[in-house]
Amino acid sequence: MDPSILSENPFRLGLVTERTPAPCVFVIFGASGDLTRRKLLPALYNLAVSRLLPPGMSIVGFALTEMADEEFRSSMRQAVGEFSRRKPLDEAVWKDFASRLHYVSGKFEDPANFVKLRDKLAELDARNGTRENRIYYLAVPPSAFRIVNDNLARAGLVYDPEDTTRYSRIIIEKPFGRDLASAAALTADLHRVFHEGQIFRIDHYLGKETVQNLVAMRFGNAIFEPLWNRNHIDHVQITVAEDIGVEGRGKFYEEAGTTRDIVQNHLLQLLMVMAMEPPVAFTADEVRDEKVKVLRALKPISAEEVETLTVRGQYGPGNFAGKPVPGYRQEPNVDPASIVETFVAMRIEIDNWRFAGVPIYIRAGKRLTKRMTEISVHFKQVPHVLLAQPGPVDPDVLAIRIQPDEGIGLRFVAKVPGQTMTLRPVTMDFRYGSTFGGSGPEAYERLILDAMLGDPTLFARADEVNAAWRFITPVLEAWARGPAPRFPNYAAGTWGPTQATALIERDGRSWRRL
Amino acid sequence: MRLSVDQVEREVARLWEEEAKRSGTARVELLTLVALVSEPPLLERVQAVVTEVVRRLPSRTIVAVWREGTAVSITADAELHHASPGGLPCGDAITLEAIGEAREWLPGNADRLALSDMPVCIWWVGDLPDHDDLFDRMVVNADVVIVNSQEMDLRDLGKLTSICTRSRGRYALADLAWARLRWVQDLVARFFDDEPARACLTGLQRIDIAFSPREGEKDAASTRSCLLLGWLVHVLKLPTDAPQWRRGDTWAEVQLGNVLTRFEQRPHRGVRPGGLVRLALECGTARFEIQRTEDPQAYQWSREVPGMQTPAQILRVLSLDEPTLLLRCLERPKRDPLLEKSLAVAWRIVRPVAPRLSNQPPGGLDL
Repeated sequence: MDPSILSENPFRLGLVTERTPAPCVFVIFGASGDLTRRKLLPALYNLAVSRLLPPGMSIVGFALTEMADEEFRSSMRQAVGEFSRRKPLDEAVWKDFASRLHYVSGKFEDPANFVKLRDKLAELDARNGTRENRIYYLAVPPSAFRIVNDNLARAGLVYDPEDTTRYSRIIIEKPFGRDLASAAALTADLHRVFHEGQIFRIDHYLGKETVQNLVAMRFGNAIFEPLWNRNHIDHVQITVAEDIGVEGRGKFYEEAGTTRDIVQNHLLQLLMVMAMEPPVAFTADEVRDEKVKVLRALKPISAEEVETLTVRGQYGPGNFAGKPVPGYRQEPNVDPASIVETFVAMRIEIDNWRFAGVPIYIRAGKRLTKRMTEISVHFKQVPHVLLAQPGPVDPDVLAIRIQPDEGIGLRFVAKVPGQTMTLRPVTMDFRYGSTFGGSGPEAYERLILDAMLGDPTLFARADEVNAAWRFITPVLEAWARGPAPRFPNYAAGTWGPTQATALIERDGRSWRRL
Repeated sequence: MRLSVDQVEREVARLWEEEAKRSGTARVELLTLVALVSEPPLLERVQAVVTEVVRRLPSRTIVAVWREGTAVSITADAELHHASPGGLPCGDAITLEAIGEAREWLPGNADRLALSDMPVCIWWVGDLPDHDDLFDRMVVNADVVIVNSQEMDLRDLGKLTSICTRSRGRYALADLAWARLRWVQDLVARFFDDEPARACLTGLQRIDIAFSPREGEKDAASTRSCLLLGWLVHVLKLPTDAPQWRRGDTWAEVQLGNVLTRFEQRPHRGVRPGGLVRLALECGTARFEIQRTEDPQAYQWSREVPGMQTPAQILRVLSLDEPTLLLRCLERPKRDPLLEKSLAVAWRIVRPVAPRLSNQPPGGLDL
């Protein structure tokens, strides 16, 4: 046999296989929490079912709660059984998967616990051949990031990023700060311990198939890109609407509000993918360079413009699906006089060659009429109405539905059959579900796998996070300085405050009926 | 309802119009799947398979079947596929029945009924006849031609190789047996992602392949196991010029250079005929093994590489039914050079022991 064929794995050549990462130990800080139960363990289990976990990989839970390995396994079995998209539990896979689960209990503040963790990881390396590869998932509040990172470093569990024999990576969850200053401080804190290339900031929206499909649609087809500019687009609407309230997260929401919870991250991510220039390659830095350029091109909203270009709202009591529902101020753990926003709408502009002068209307909120995340691109009117019509011809709309009923719809006009030339809007619909059938991997599965493979394309980079805060912070500050809003200003189960309608109608446009 | 072929499009349009009024469903169809049923008893199975495929990949299906008879005619049935009984429509279900010599007209009529500007996929159900120009005429306008080499014998590896050569890239060949091997290939590839494990391959001495036998299987070296070996040999560039065969009732061995491959029939509870039971590679003191467990859908994946610690892993491989395999073949209607090369290598290995063709066509067959 010619040994030169073995420089790479010859069995991978020409094979359409899923990617399998190198063996590693996956450490979850906050392993007794809700995120671990609802998302992380079910995602890891689903990767195991899909044969995507590497041999020897171990998962170590770390939290304050006292628990033995067996107790942790039993608790996780229940969580996976309840929250995995694959049911029922596959006993053979679970048995193998459970044998990889371990638990270390202790306070994050105590460095001795990290020595205990290090010993456990070394033992697993020796037993399973995981070669000191580490992924640390911080399923803990941002206030705990610093102490965890410092103690990881102190215990020698963070490696030089140039070390090619082993790796250490960290995955963190939003919020990445509360404003520009705190985000910058958080980044600086992380950078004291980890190199930027070792940090994976998760925004689960980027793991959604439909968001990735937006990239495929824009750059995999020749017909859209020539139209994707100010010459043809009249305006864009991005909606992230939820029909639920704060669902027991009142305490968190009081700190965050819709702007911090949705707009600064998910919604601006959608905006970036919609508006970015074609990257020279689909690699992590090329894609993220183009995304961040969009944020840098956002026209700042000055304090004087906040009144006219933004709307905030808070839901009051109303009804949803025929049942009465409480207002935000009546939710548990919410201040009865709270002025936290549960709805935001903005008119924003991108000052660049492609989109200059094209308004982007965004709205996000809780307890709206229906759950719907969508980007709609509204094209300009035809330049000349050749066909006699009562009123203008309806412009074309391309709608990219992120959730639910993921898909793409194109609205255009067609002639109504008959003797007269009457035009009417019609739609062409592409639905993921009916076209491809089945369900794809969940966002967390894709993102965890990418982190194990060391591919940060679908994770937010520090400059991206900071640029988003640079745009959002002046708005938050202007709101804080201004008079207290008169909340509540929309009833649960409606499309938000009337000011949001006025925001778009001032420009002679209207929100798309969803 | 029996229709003439020229009534089919009108009938399909009428059915969709009715559905549009009933449910407002938009018509979405991504390809035309033509299933050629060489034996009428297979018709029911094929109808069930295409119905399931269309539920996951909205398409027009044309199931063509032929019967002996003196009345030379082709008639058709046209219905809609539904996502579930009484559910939304998801494709056109057309059946063509040719009687007697009208079989010769099937290619033209299937072509006429194919959706415009959408890929056409031909699924040849059952064994390939030794010499039959219907296959060649059917595939002229196809994008993908799907066969199942598992339903064939060793000599068919030669025919399939010849089909690939003759296609000259006009259409892609896909094989359900090859699609079924994808997970095995994945598990084998996982052995060698690490450099120390790869280095062991230079000392490869022996390959063991154990399959659950099909009923009446005469040869321990089945087409599927030989296709798997063809892939391994192609990837590792092992010599194929002088294969030395030894065969017993339930086993066969072939020596390729320094590497001995042993095929073995090994029945395993719950494993469908033809299913892989064990694959092992021996490279000096290193061993790489995939072995079915008691749970027939779970495998133990293990390797022993000096100086490397790797715990064994239990991996679930879902049972792949025919619709799933067909869908895999339809996922990517492009040529698969790896299949073509593996087939060619497999044919070079089995040629000395493959049965002869039943008779030679005029001018011989270009293999």
